[in-house]
Amino acid sequence: MMSGLRMYGLLFRASIRSRMQYRFNFWFSSVMSAVISIVEFLMLAVILLKFGHIKGWSLAEAGWLYSVLSLSRAIYRTVANDVHNIESYLVSGDLDGLLLRPIPVLTALMSRNVSIRFGEVFQGIAVLVVSMSALIREGQIGWLSIPLTVFVIISGALLLFSVGLLTASAGFWLTRITELQNITEDAARTAVQYPVSIYPRWLQGILVGIIPVGFANYMPGLFVLRGDTGWWMLPLTAGIAAALFTLALFVWRFGISRYQSTGS
Amino acid sequence: MKPMITVHQLSKSFRSPLPAPEGPFRGLRTLMSRQYTEKEAVRGVNFSIAPGEFVGYIGPNGAGKSTTIKMLAGILHPTSGEVRIDGLNPHRDRRQVARRLGVLFGQRTQLWWDLPVRDSYDILAAMYGIDAERKDARINELADLLQLGEFMDTPVRKLSLGQRMRADLAAALLHDPDVLFLDEPTIGLDVVAKRSIREYLHSINIELGKTVLLTTHDMDDIEQLCSRVIVINRGTLGFDGTIDELRRRIGLPTLIRVTYRQAPVLPSAEINENATSLRLAEVDGRTLTAECNREAISAMEALRLLEQYGDIEDVHMEEPHFEDVIHTLY
Amino acid sequence: MLFYVLSRKTYARNLQYRGAHMVHNIASALFGFIYTSIWTAIAADQPLGEYGSAGIVSYVAFNQCSLWVAAFMTNGLGIEQSVRTGSIALELMRPVHLFYQLMCKEWGQVAYQFVYKFIPIYALYAVVLPMYIPKSLMTWLTTAVALILAGYLSICINYIIGAVALWTTESRWLYWVNHAFSMLLSGFLIPLEWLPEPLAFIARWSFYPFLHYVPTRIYLGMSSPLSLLGSLAWAVILTAICLGLTSLMRRKVEVQGG
Repeated sequence: MMSGLRMYGLLFRASIRSRMQYRFNFWFSSVMSAVISIVEFLMLAVILLKFGHIKGWSLAEAGWLYSVLSLSRAIYRTVANDVHNIESYLVSGDLDGLLLRPIPVLTALMSRNVSIRFGEVFQGIAVLVVSMSALIREGQIGWLSIPLTVFVIISGALLLFSVGLLTASAGFWLTRITELQNITEDAARTAVQYPVSIYPRWLQGILVGIIPVGFANYMPGLFVLRGDTGWWMLPLTAGIAAALFTLALFVWRFGISRYQSTGS
Repeated sequence: MKPMITVHQLSKSFRSPLPAPEGPFRGLRTLMSRQYTEKEAVRGVNFSIAPGEFVGYIGPNGAGKSTTIKMLAGILHPTSGEVRIDGLNPHRDRRQVARRLGVLFGQRTQLWWDLPVRDSYDILAAMYGIDAERKDARINELADLLQLGEFMDTPVRKLSLGQRMRADLAAALLHDPDVLFLDEPTIGLDVVAKRSIREYLHSINIELGKTVLLTTHDMDDIEQLCSRVIVINRGTLGFDGTIDELRRRIGLPTLIRVTYRQAPVLPSAEINENATSLRLAEVDGRTLTAECNREAISAMEALRLLEQYGDIEDVHMEEPHFEDVIHTLY
Repeated sequence: MLFYVLSRKTYARNLQYRGAHMVHNIASALFGFIYTSIWTAIAADQPLGEYGSAGIVSYVAFNQCSLWVAAFMTNGLGIEQSVRTGSIALELMRPVHLFYQLMCKEWGQVAYQFVYKFIPIYALYAVVLPMYIPKSLMTWLTTAVALILAGYLSICINYIIGAVALWTTESRWLYWVNHAFSMLLSGFLIPLEWLPEPLAFIARWSFYPFLHYVPTRIYLGMSSPLSLLGSLAWAVILTAICLGLTSLMRRKVEVQGG
């Protein structure tokens, strides 16, 4: 385990060094991604500034939901960027090269083309600080919510990573998974950027029960922000993330054993 | 001696879903379809390779070469049959086998594209758990052997193809593997670079004592490097033996071109009576071309026969081209 | 003639991936569904001005469909890739103007997306959402013209984005930044009149509203066809920019050899 982490760290740094060879692109893309996530958040903010609240969720609360998810995703995509890009490895046969190494394939894959998501991290932290300080000033939440929020972000990162890994594993059977990722990663994540209660029952069911991304922010948010549920919500959140992670690892391993390398 | 690589009744078939019949939502129906076509890429292949052998593994495109190599390397799981690398099963013990294996894909580099060559070696050394002291010694040794010094600190993307191939070769050898798989190591190189890579490969086999399995489409590679050739075609083994045996087995004739002082006097049709050993192919003025089966008749005997038709001025013999030998096999 | 050949080729190339695109439509429809849900939730507590709760759902749903005609183009019309492979020099040498070539190709893409994305998603929304469907033929015609102009504007914008790749070697980020701004300023999710002041000002003076806000309001019968004059004006301005850029590109390629 320790040596695995060290290996990952080494590959991670090498990946960063590669990226730094193109310094302009690195900073340009960081600034651009910050602009994109700020503009995306503006859409939600504009609506809430104009209409006050959405299904009883204030701008500060919605900001918390939004930024917690942004930060979880930024962690997931920083730590495991190419899990999301597995399709190109499957199509080009580049996965072969990773299989030739005496380290786990997942470690090798995760440390490829690392991109530090400065933009999203910056946007996420900014929105989170503004939202939480407003909520603390109003006395809705206390200082304890800060460590709880960190806990939720980390658990959410694991959850999003697991959803990504499960979808990526499907690639061993389907090869082309961009469309599937569009549903499980992009659409599902966009959905939980907003309070889940605005959706009809069937969609809420999907977001909590089938692709449980609702547990990345909304469900734990019910406890952290509003005390609507008991404290058990937090272990449940972490438990779901851990369970999905275990399942994803299992499916991933099974998928690798079924891998049909392409090319002649 | 215990064999280094054993392959027993190895088979691999690929399943791909059968495209659904034409009509709306065809793609979606294909995705859901339960009907498959089976394609047998490799069928019942057997061979074993002793330590220190240099074996060429050849066959036309799509014959199953890459599939076999990928199964040997633990990338693909065989449908049936067994593979052992130094007694280990590459699928169950992928990571242990990876330590004993060096692999070079001529078509794609395993080095970190944007980093200096040296950095790739540092990363690989860490992956294979080589300590600093041993790593430095090893890199110096390889840099000497493959002459890497001049571009050790150059990013890989700026290397010429020949340099990149040498750097990749060193990467494959860094962890001192017992077995080396080379896939098209000379592809795209110019004549000079090809020759130097072949020299390196030769010394890697002789001096470092590595067992080498080489797949290539360049028959000069095979002819100059390999002590043994295995031919695969349509998924099954077609031949396994030395190059000379391969030549003999195919029995392509040696061409003898004889120039006489005067136009040769040919006897009538019965000349080709024992056509199995010597056959007159063509007469053009004073020059006569004959095809001679060296299995059945020696060169001297053939010349003695040809002397009957006139005074010989000049003789030119042509051994069959290896390229052609292989061609008849495919 | 060239127009027909080029656009048909792109159309046909896309046909192979119909199946995957149908799966993608599920995701796309879901996105629209998310956006309509936001408005339904807000409309539950307050009136929504001239749109009303049914109007705003139709507004957002129609925008989601028209993304496929007015927004989702090939990244930089594929110029970035040509720059990376070096084939841009060749394409600039052809006897047909680069802008015209790429525009023709892209119309094939737009036509494909109209048939295989716009129509299926629209049909789905017409069934599951309280979607407004215009009765007058005139509305349908002016909407079509508005969408075609929106598609043309979007092609021009992507040409400009792609051309930038000649200097920066990549245009992916610009593409997504443009997309993000378009979502905010085109009235895609929020009708322009509800944007707060600095944003509304920027939006009014940009081409973005002509991609979504104007066509969709014409579709809903809320704007007169006269607003298409704005689309036309922007089409002229952007075409001039594209042509100017091409001569800059040509000079750059001649100096550097691609």
